[in-house]
Order: sequence, then C-alpha cells, then structure tokens
Amino acid sequence: MSQIREADLTRFLVEEQARFYRLAYSCLKNREEALNAVQTAVCTALEKRDSLREPDAVRTWFYRILVNVCTDQLRQRKRVAFVPPEALDTGSYEDPLPEDGSLARRVDALPAEVGTIIRLRFYEDLSLKEISAVTGCTLSTVKTRLYTGLKKLRVSLEGVEIE
Amino acid sequence: MNEFNKAKQDYLDTPIPEELASHVEAGIWQGRENYRKNRRSRYFRRSLGGVAACFVVLVGTLNLSPTVAAAAAEVPVLGGLFQVLTVRSFTDTNADRTLEVEQPAIQGDGEFTQRVNEEIQRRVDQKITEGNQLVEEYKEAFLSTGGTQEEWEAHGMGVSVTYEIKSQREGVVSFLVEFNVSFTNAYWERAYYNLDLTEEKELTLADVLGEDWVSVCNESIRTQMAAAEDPTVYFDESMGGFSSVDETTLFYLNGSGDPVVVFEPYAVAPGVLGYVEFIIAS
Repeated sequence: MSQIREADLTRFLVEEQARFYRLAYSCLKNREEALNAVQTAVCTALEKRDSLREPDAVRTWFYRILVNVCTDQLRQRKRVAFVPPEALDTGSYEDPLPEDGSLARRVDALPAEVGTIIRLRFYEDLSLKEISAVTGCTLSTVKTRLYTGLKKLRVSLEGVEIE
Repeated sequence: MNEFNKAKQDYLDTPIPEELASHVEAGIWQGRENYRKNRRSRYFRRSLGGVAACFVVLVGTLNLSPTVAAAAAEVPVLGGLFQVLTVRSFTDTNADRTLEVEQPAIQGDGEFTQRVNEEIQRRVDQKITEGNQLVEEYKEAFLSTGGTQEEWEAHGMGVSVTYEIKSQREGVVSFLVEFNVSFTNAYWERAYYNLDLTEEKELTLADVLGEDWVSVCNESIRTQMAAAEDPTVYFDESMGGFSSVDETTLFYLNGSGDPVVVFEPYAVAPGVLGYVEFIIAS
C-alpha cells in the first residue's frame, strides 16, 4: 500500500478538470451546479486522500467521489424543484421515444443511475469493472442497468461492445 | 454504433466554462486546508493526551460539560507562562456526525477573565447548536428525498470548533476560534480575540496603532496590494473589493506584536486565496 503524493493528485485534478466538468454537467445539466460539484469533489479528494489505497486507481476513485456529489445534488434539488408548466412536455412521463431527438438527449432522459452508467461506459470508456467501483454497485447490477438502459434507448445492440 | 459515436462527440463538445480552473483551484486550496487540520488534531490527540490531561485539573473550576468527557488539553508554553488553556476538549460521534471541540479559555480570576471566558463559552455552545441544527436539517432533506440511512452515514459529516494561538507576550494574548461544518458546501467562521490581560481589556486596532489607525492600515494594505506579484488578483474597489478598514475588521497580533489584518475568503480577492492577511508594521 502506498499513498498518493499531494503533488501527483493535484496535477491529475488540474489536468483532467475538463473531463470532470463534462461528467458533472452531463448529470446536472446546469453550469453553476456542475462547477460547484467539481469544486466540492476536488476538495473532498484532497481532504480524504489517505483513503485512496492504490494510486493507480485514482481515476475510478475520483469519479466515485464526483458521481456521489452529483447524486447528492440531484437529491437536494428534488425538494426545491420548480418546473414551469410550459417546460413539461407530454412525453416526459414516458420512456423517451427513438424519434425524440438525438441519442445524447435520450441518454439524458434516462433515470440518473442508469444514465451515469451509460455515460461512463460509452463516453468515458470505463470498463464494467471500473464502473462497478465508481458507482459502488455490484458488477451484475451494473450489467442489468446497462442492458435496461440500452433497451430503453432502443439502440441496436448489434456491434455494441459491452465488455 | 454510429449513433453512440455521435452522442459521444456531442458529449465531448460540452463547452467548458472559463471559471472552471478557479473552481478547481479553490477546491484544492480548501481540501488541502481541511486535510492539514484533520492531521493536526489527530496528532495532538495522540501525543499530548496523556501529559495534558493533568493540566485539566488546574482549570477544573472552568466549565466542564457533565455530558461529555474531557479527553485532553493542549497546553501552549509560548512565552514561558501559559495564559490560554483548553478547558473543554472532546470528540462526540453519533450516527449523523462527528463533533470535535477544542475550547480555549484565558487564565486568571478577575472579572475580565470571567467575562471573556463566558463569552467564548456562549459562542462555542451556540456554534455547536447551530452545527447540529444544520446537520439535522440536511439529514432530513437527504432522507425525505430518497437517501438511505446508510448512504447518509457514509458522508462522515463533521462539526468542529478549534482554536489557534497567534501570540502571547507581556500579558497580551492573541488567538482565534474557528468553527467549521463539513458539508457539500463548506461552512466556516472565525473569531479573533486580542486581549491585554494586564490592562484587562480587549485590544482594538486603535489601541495598537494609535489615532490614525484607519489611514495607517489603509495605506499599508494598498501599498502591499500594489506590490503583490500580481496586483490584479485583488478585487477592484468598484467590484466590491477593499475600500477601508473599520471597527469590524478582523485582526490578530503576531509574534513581534504587529497587528495582522485578516479578510475572509471572497472579501477582497477570489476565494482561491483563502483568508488574506496583511501585516501592518506599527
């Protein structure tokens, strides 16, 4: 067991900041909230850096912190959610339909825990094992959610590499 | 698969705001501070606990809350004679949060000493209550919106009251009491105490710098800002930056007896810089 050096962690966080922001933004869809989420996650990472046992696993370790911060934020938001009536379209209570905008839009419409897994797999190119480490779900839960997500997206599974 | 490539491209094209870098820096600064603070308190618990427990008896007449066990006290030996002591030091962990308190008091038996110690006691108690309330409100919101007790506990929420002695010399002590709640968004507050124990009074900048204290401070601060490596880090006055010191300006006395003016994060410069300090040569 070796600990990560503060300088290495800081460099990683600074160099990869754009990726963190993209991930946070894709979950939260709000610029300010995404910025704050990244800041909070960076702060937590430095504060709790002794909890990282394997310096090589820093990416999955940090993604986990970030995903947790975003999930918390979504949860907090639920209690104050204000959606103007005109923003509600009739389709929002149902699964998104394929002809409904681009695939990216449909991924956003998935439940948060499914959407995150799809994004980590296809946008961030993490393996299922890594996703399981990031989300804290078992490997089989990750698989189930991934398949559910793909099915809802009605993406042809042909040629999609899952593993 | 094409469809996913397109989606991925959209994702990669997410515009990155300019302020991202400063948010990351602020996070780094804050996390580093918290890390250091945690380590410091761990160190003191381990190394000084045994020795210092003896000294608690010395100040036993001061308030020890009956509900909590006083674990240890940190005894500063600056200046040979200790004037500031820990009167209450405990860690209380329950399922919702960890509360860590290091409460200082000044030594002596005059009316002034008593008044100051009561004031500290009141403030610390109030801050503990406030901290607990914040945690409770947050927990309620967390659970009512679908969080589980288990997830909540994994957060490791912390409420802490600590203090730091800045200087003690010739009957004058200067220390600060800091209050913190670790949250998704950190919450902190500092109170500085500058006390002349011989004269039995709380020192003001006017006491230290004389009648012209406002212009002395302002001039010194402006000169130091202009001489900074990058003077543009400080907010312009028109942007709500530094305009003038006043009676509410925070300060402490350093080891050589010079006042050090302290501005809270975001008051005169971006939060990245944290607390901004200016030494005013007297």
